Amino acid sequence: MPSWIEQAAHRGILTSAYPRRPATAAELPLTGRPPLLPPGAVAPAGAADRCPVGAIDGRTVDQGRCIRCARCLGDGFRFAGPVESARTRRDSLVDLSDPPTVAPLAALGRSVHIFLIDVGSCHACNLEVLALAAPQYDLQRLGLFFTNSPRHADVLLVVGIPTDEMVEPLRRAYDALPAPKAVVATGACAVSGGVFRGTAGLRNGVEEVLPVDLFVPGCPPAPLQILDGLLRLVGRNTAPEGTP
Amino acid sequence: MTPPRWTETSSGAFVLSSDRAPAYAASDGSFALYNDYREGRAILVRGPGPFAPDEVLVVWQGPAAAGRPLAPRSAVEGYGVFTFPYGPVSMGVPEAGRFDVATYGERVLALTPLGGYKSRRVLPTVVGSTVTDAALRIERTAGNFSASHVAAFLGAAEIAEQRAVPAAELWVRATAQELQRIYNHVHVLARIAEAASQNVGSAQTHALGEEMLRLQGHVFGHRWGFGALLPGGVPARLDPEGRRELARALTQRSEEFAELTDLFLGSRTFVDRIQGTCPVPRESAVRWGAVGPVLRACGVAWDDRLRVPTAPYNDLFLALPHEKDGDALARLLVRMEEVRASFLLLEQIVDRWPSSVAVVEPPEPPVAPHRGLGRTEAPSGDLVYDVSVENGRLRSIGVRSPSDANWPLFAAGMNHAVFTDFHFAFESFGLVFADTDR
Repeated sequence: MPSWIEQAAHRGILTSAYPRRPATAAELPLTGRPPLLPPGAVAPAGAADRCPVGAIDGRTVDQGRCIRCARCLGDGFRFAGPVESARTRRDSLVDLSDPPTVAPLAALGRSVHIFLIDVGSCHACNLEVLALAAPQYDLQRLGLFFTNSPRHADVLLVVGIPTDEMVEPLRRAYDALPAPKAVVATGACAVSGGVFRGTAGLRNGVEEVLPVDLFVPGCPPAPLQILDGLLRLVGRNTAPEGTP
Repeated sequence: MTPPRWTETSSGAFVLSSDRAPAYAASDGSFALYNDYREGRAILVRGPGPFAPDEVLVVWQGPAAAGRPLAPRSAVEGYGVFTFPYGPVSMGVPEAGRFDVATYGERVLALTPLGGYKSRRVLPTVVGSTVTDAALRIERTAGNFSASHVAAFLGAAEIAEQRAVPAAELWVRATAQELQRIYNHVHVLARIAEAASQNVGSAQTHALGEEMLRLQGHVFGHRWGFGALLPGGVPARLDPEGRRELARALTQRSEEFAELTDLFLGSRTFVDRIQGTCPVPRESAVRWGAVGPVLRACGVAWDDRLRVPTAPYNDLFLALPHEKDGDALARLLVRMEEVRASFLLLEQIVDRWPSSVAVVEPPEPPVAPHRGLGRTEAPSGDLVYDVSVENGRLRSIGVRSPSDANWPLFAAGMNHAVFTDFHFAFESFGLVFADTDR
């Protein structure tokens, strides 16, 4: 009868070298990178209308709205943007040009406690956030911790599009966090409303309810991209930007 | 079973009352669907409701108020009894949903799950849009069951549009569903192990779950298969080389899973903790219309893949595991067997992938409205989509999801449990609020 110890030793180390090394192809699916038009290419007429969430405007893609449905591949767009796509300003998500320089929680260093709140998600973002605790990512090695109470948290990690019913619970959870605190809008729904944008009874992103310190685009963002966002909050993202 | 009765409400919707929960009841009163477990087939019972083609009907009646009970509330009174809410914001159940717990201390006297907090108004907003556009929202109804939702929705829409489907499309759908089933069952095992403080075991199981997500990402270009099953979506990379690679990865993962189950079932403390937890008697399961592993853990062998099979399932060998005891352990054993069965199914799918695929040109969509019914076995159970299409656009849509069906059983099973049973019970049902609050 084998034991857990033998089994774990047999599996070896599973943890990613990220952020010391760039993300590998296995850690990020095809649609994980933001879609961009290759340099020199021209978007054909009607490309903007074919985008189901209205993210395309001429050459630029609003990554905050993009749901990675891949329909624009036919118009010449490619999933070729930077892996590290979280930004501290909403308008920086439109062309991903300026890398963030602000670290709202720099003082916290290696002790950042995170409270996850769902305000109307499809459950995929929730599971991607929880996947950070899996051995492949092991967020505790980086001084990041999940906490079970907003009163013990520094970061409010919001997933989903805020429904009218969840606006009040969201505000109350935010008020329960001690200062200094940061709000991270995770996933297209929390950033802009995503595929549900413009529906009566839903708010187009967390920004309409609370001040947001960091936006993590993607539908859903891959765990590595959430990890990169959290490290950016404390100014500890050291991953080189580049192709895996 | 006595014949079901339909009553018309003042708003024109029909409510079905019968001594057994139907698998699905159309709220326009046109039909109800029952599962005959003895004969192993589905029965369609016609209702009084007319199917009037000239009026637009939205089956779903608008957003439900926050705090809508998902199971019958039972009033509990007594010395020192109080009721407290758990949720809608908590890390234990990392989703927006609430439980009202009546107790005098450690024992749960009654538990009522409450929904309506995270309704994204999916159903009313897809009415009027094209099938392809609607599918983008349908697959984001419950992200971890996305393949089953899309497969059932597209199945229903294709019947309604009277459109033939390329065979390869159905094989891709089955691949996505089985990969997602394995992920979900592995995730349930990891969460139960976490609750039981089996730290090494839960870490190793979470690692396997992450590998399954990466495998989906590799095959479909998306970790949750979003867009992969839609016309014009991410191209599924299931060329011969991709399928060989998939087969290699599956062999490795299934060996890892077998090793994990042996270790878990060999741990007396783990098995003791979930044995007898949150039991569901067979009679309640049948009467309340339980689905999926919850139903199969009570000794009822019903699985849509076998009882209402669509291609390619009618062509593949599928074992149908079931257990007798109806407790959290029985549900977990059923899930473990189903993972094994899904690995076997995937092996057959990769092996017998149709070599030449005839592409069927879709005909012009019929102008007159047509209605179609799609059923798939989602990881948590039977999923029903009732869709009517007119001029290529959705005219009405009705859904019965596995979580809809299983909430009352969870509430009943928690009666007279203790607080610490909650997570074992909840995770063993595989309930998802997003699946109910659509």
